Amino acid sequence: MREVFIAGVGLTKFGRYDGKKGRPRKLYPDLGGEAIAKALKYADMEWKEVEAAFGGTYYGGLGGTHQCVAKVGLTGIPIANVFSGHSSEAALRLAYTRVALGVHDIVLAVGAETLPSGLLDNQSMPVWMRMMGLDVIPAETACHAVRYMKDFGASLEDFARVTVMERKHAVLNPNAMFQKEVTQDEVLQSRMIATPLTLLMNCANADGAAAIIVCCRNKLRSQTKAVTIASIIQTSATYGTAFSGGSLSLSTKLKNPDSVELAAKQTWETSGYGPGEMDVIQIYDPFSPSFLWNVEKCGFCKPGEAPRLLKEGYFEIGGKIPANTDGGIMGRGHPTGATGIAQVAEIFFQLREEAGPRQVKGAKIGFAQGGGAGPQTVITVLKR
Amino acid sequence: MREVAIAGVGLVKFGRYDGQKGRPYREIYELGAEAITKALKYADMEWKEIQVAYGASMFGGLGVPNQCTSRIGMPGIPITTLEGACSSSQQAFRQAYYDVANGLYDVALAFGTEKIPPGLIADTLAPVWMLMMGFNLPGMYAIETRRYMEESGATEEDFAWVAVMERKNAIMNPNAFWYQAPELTIEEVLNSREVATPIRFLMACANADGASAAIVCSKEKLKSKSRMVTVVASSHATASYGYDNLGIKIREKGNPTCTELACKQVWEASGYGPEDMDVIQLYEAMAPSFLWDAEQCGFCKPGEAAKLVREGYFEINGKKPANTDGGLLGRGHPTGATGLAQVIELFLQLREEAGPRQVPGAKIGFCHCSGGGPNGVCHILKR
Amino acid sequence: MTTNSGKRQIPCRDGLWTNPTSPGEKPQLIGSQCLHCGEIFFPVNPVCINCQSQSMKEIRLSRRGKIWSYSTIMLPPPQWYKGPVPFDLGYVELPEGVRIWTRLLGAEPGTFKVGQEVELDIDVMQVDKEGNEILGFGFVPVRE
Repeated sequence: MREVFIAGVGLTKFGRYDGKKGRPRKLYPDLGGEAIAKALKYADMEWKEVEAAFGGTYYGGLGGTHQCVAKVGLTGIPIANVFSGHSSEAALRLAYTRVALGVHDIVLAVGAETLPSGLLDNQSMPVWMRMMGLDVIPAETACHAVRYMKDFGASLEDFARVTVMERKHAVLNPNAMFQKEVTQDEVLQSRMIATPLTLLMNCANADGAAAIIVCCRNKLRSQTKAVTIASIIQTSATYGTAFSGGSLSLSTKLKNPDSVELAAKQTWETSGYGPGEMDVIQIYDPFSPSFLWNVEKCGFCKPGEAPRLLKEGYFEIGGKIPANTDGGIMGRGHPTGATGIAQVAEIFFQLREEAGPRQVKGAKIGFAQGGGAGPQTVITVLKR
Repeated sequence: MREVAIAGVGLVKFGRYDGQKGRPYREIYELGAEAITKALKYADMEWKEIQVAYGASMFGGLGVPNQCTSRIGMPGIPITTLEGACSSSQQAFRQAYYDVANGLYDVALAFGTEKIPPGLIADTLAPVWMLMMGFNLPGMYAIETRRYMEESGATEEDFAWVAVMERKNAIMNPNAFWYQAPELTIEEVLNSREVATPIRFLMACANADGASAAIVCSKEKLKSKSRMVTVVASSHATASYGYDNLGIKIREKGNPTCTELACKQVWEASGYGPEDMDVIQLYEAMAPSFLWDAEQCGFCKPGEAAKLVREGYFEINGKKPANTDGGLLGRGHPTGATGLAQVIELFLQLREEAGPRQVPGAKIGFCHCSGGGPNGVCHILKR
Repeated sequence: MTTNSGKRQIPCRDGLWTNPTSPGEKPQLIGSQCLHCGEIFFPVNPVCINCQSQSMKEIRLSRRGKIWSYSTIMLPPPQWYKGPVPFDLGYVELPEGVRIWTRLLGAEPGTFKVGQEVELDIDVMQVDKEGNEILGFGFVPVRE
C-alpha cells in the first residue's frame, strides 16, 4: 500500500440555504459543486485530473454525488454514491483505498446536504416500529444519557458544558453555522426535545458541503507541510453491546466492544499511535452527551472521567487535548452528508497550521471520528 | 491484481412481498438476509469468514444493508451502502471485487435488496421544480425512445418482440417475477395500456421486490475449485459532457454515452470483444432500451438490433443469448437487487446450473447495468 | 380479531405477540432462542446473531420486566406515529436477558423510573383508512 496524501479540502459555510429570512436559496448540488471547486483550487488541480469520485448525501436522494460533480464537469469517471447518512468519511475511506492500492492517483470524496427542518426520518426502521414512534432519533441517545448520569454521576450541566465549549470554538470558525457563544443556563433552559436532552444539546439541522481530494505523493503540487492519512478504519455494529441503532433486541448478558470501541482499537493498532500522541481530535457528537462517552470509548480518558476533564478545560483550544476545534457538531451544525468529511477537514487545516484563531500550536497528528447509519463508525488519523 | 472468484450466490424470488391479495409480507431486510444466507450456503462458508460487505437498496432508505447483515450477525466489519439507482448492487459487487483483486480482503460480500412502492417511481434525480412540472421516469424513456425510432426506424412492434422474448425466458426461471406465467403475444403487448407514448404497460419492467447476494473471494479461499467462475474485468463510467443527469443527450455534438464508455473500458481491460461472449445480460428497464443497449454495448451495429431480435438472435438457442433469466421485463426489477441479479444469472449459466434456460457450453459472459446519474457498470465473467 | 363495532383489529406486524385463546390468558411477545448458545432475540429471527446457528426455537417472553432507561419525547415523530405527544420511549429488560426498545404507556409522561417494574400491554395505536384499529405493544407500570 502506498502513502495517501490530502491534496486539498473545500468547505462551504454551514448554515441554512433555504431562501427564508433573507438567506440565499441553494440546493445541495450547488453546495457540493462549490466545495469541490474550492478543494480543486486548494490542491491546485484541474477537474480533469480527478480519476474517480465517492460521496454521499442523506436527504438528497438518488445520484447525490453525480449531481454535485455535474456542477463542475462531466468526464465519465466512475462516481459511486456512498449512502451512509452522516459518515461521508466512509466515502473518504473508499477514495483512500483507491489511491493506496494504486488503482487511481487522484480521487475525490464529497458530502453535501440540504436538510428539512424538524426531526429527521429514521428510514431504516420498519413501518411497525415507526408507527409506535420508536423512530425518534434523539430518543436512543437520550436513554443512554440517562444511564450515563446514573452510572457515572454525570449531570445535565456536564451535557450543557459540551455545547458551551463547542459554541465557543465555533465563533472562531467562519464556516460554522453558529457565530455566537451560549451560556450553560441558555443550554439548560432551551426547549426540551427528549428528556434529558434540550434543544441546544441536539445537533442543528444544517445545510452545507465538504470535499477532500486525496492523491499519491508524486501528484502533490507542493510537498511543504504535506498531510498524509496514517489510518482510516471503518466498523459496523457488534452484537452484545448497549447500542443498537437497529430493530432487534439487545443482549443483557454479553458485553462486547461496540462499533466505536472496535474502530478505536483498530485505529491504534493500525496507525501505531496511541491516544496520548494526538495533538488535536474531532469527536462525533450529534448530541452533546455523545461527546462525553465517545471521548472515553476512543481511549482519550477512562470511562466516567470525561465530565471532570471537560470542566477543567482539558478539551478546549489551549487544553491538553483540544477537541472539536471547529465547533464540532454542536457549533458547526450538522449537514448530515457533509459532516464526516468536515470532521477530517478540520484536522487537515490544523496540521497545515491554517486554522487561524483556533489554531492548536504545533499540531502534527490528529484524529477524526465520524459516525453514521447502521450504526457505523469511521476513524481517520492524519499526520503531517 | 489477483484473480477473483465468485464463491456463492443467493437470490430471493422476485415478486411482491407486500401482504396484499394473499401475498406474503416480508420486510426489506428479511429479504436481504435471506439472499445472504443462501449465498453463504452456496459458498459453503460461514458468516465469520466475510471480511467486508457492500450493500445496496434504492428505496429502502438509510442503513438498510446494515439491517440485513444485523439479522445474521454483527462482526463489526466495514459495511458500506452504495447507491447507484438501478445499478446499485452491481456497483456493490464491483467494490467487493476491487477489494479482493487488490488484496485488501480475501472474502467480500455484495448484496442488494428492495421493496418498491407500487405505481410510478418517484425520481429524486430531478429537482422538485422539474417534478412539479410533471417530469417522470417513463416520460424520459419515452422521449429517448422517440429519438431512437426516428434514428433507427424501429417500430412499436419491435419493442413488443423484446417483451415477448424476455417473458419466454422468465417462464423458465423459478426466481423470476413472471415464472410459469403464460407467454405473451405481440398483440397483447401492443394492446396493453399506454404508459407514456410510445411505451406501453407490457413494455415496462415489472415493479418487484426481491434480493440478491454474491460472495467473492481469492482463489485460495474457495471451498471447491470445480467449474470455478472468475471475474475477468469490471468497469464503471458516468456521463460525459453532453448528457443531462438522466442520460438524455442534450448536445448534438456528442461524446460517448456512459454505456459506451463503460463497455469500451471493459473490452479493453478484459482483452475480449463482444464476439467472444457466450451469454449476455443487457439493461432494459423499458423494452426499447434493450435495442439501443445491444447496439451501444457493441453486439450489433446501430439500428440493427430490432431486426436481430425478430430473427431470434438474442434467444436462448440464438447466436447471442441475452437476458436468459427474463431480464428486467421478465425477471422483474427490484431496483437495488437488479444489478447483482444480472451477475448471478451469468454465474449460473457458466456453472451450467441454469436448468431449462441453460445455454449449452457457455464459458464466458457479459453484463451491463445502467442507473441514474447516469452511470453504467459492466462485468465479464468466465469459467 | 373483530371489535364490537364490526371493525377489525390488526396488529402493526404479525407474529410480534401471541393472541390469547382463553379468557385467563394474556398476550406475550414472541422471540427466538438459539438452541446452540442460548441467546434470545425479539422479534423472531431465523439465525442466531451471536453464533449464526440456524437451530432456533420460538419462545414466549416474560410479560414483566424492568426499565433500563427511558426518555420523554416532546416532539411528534416524523411520519407514521399518530399517538399523543409527549410520550415515553425506553428500554425494558426482560428476565430472559433481552433488552427491548419500546413505548412506555399507562402513566403520565415523564413519571417513569429506571428500574421500575413494567408489564406488556397491547393497545390501539391508530385507525387506518378503512376504519380498522391498528394494534401495537408497550409496557405499563405494574399495579398490584
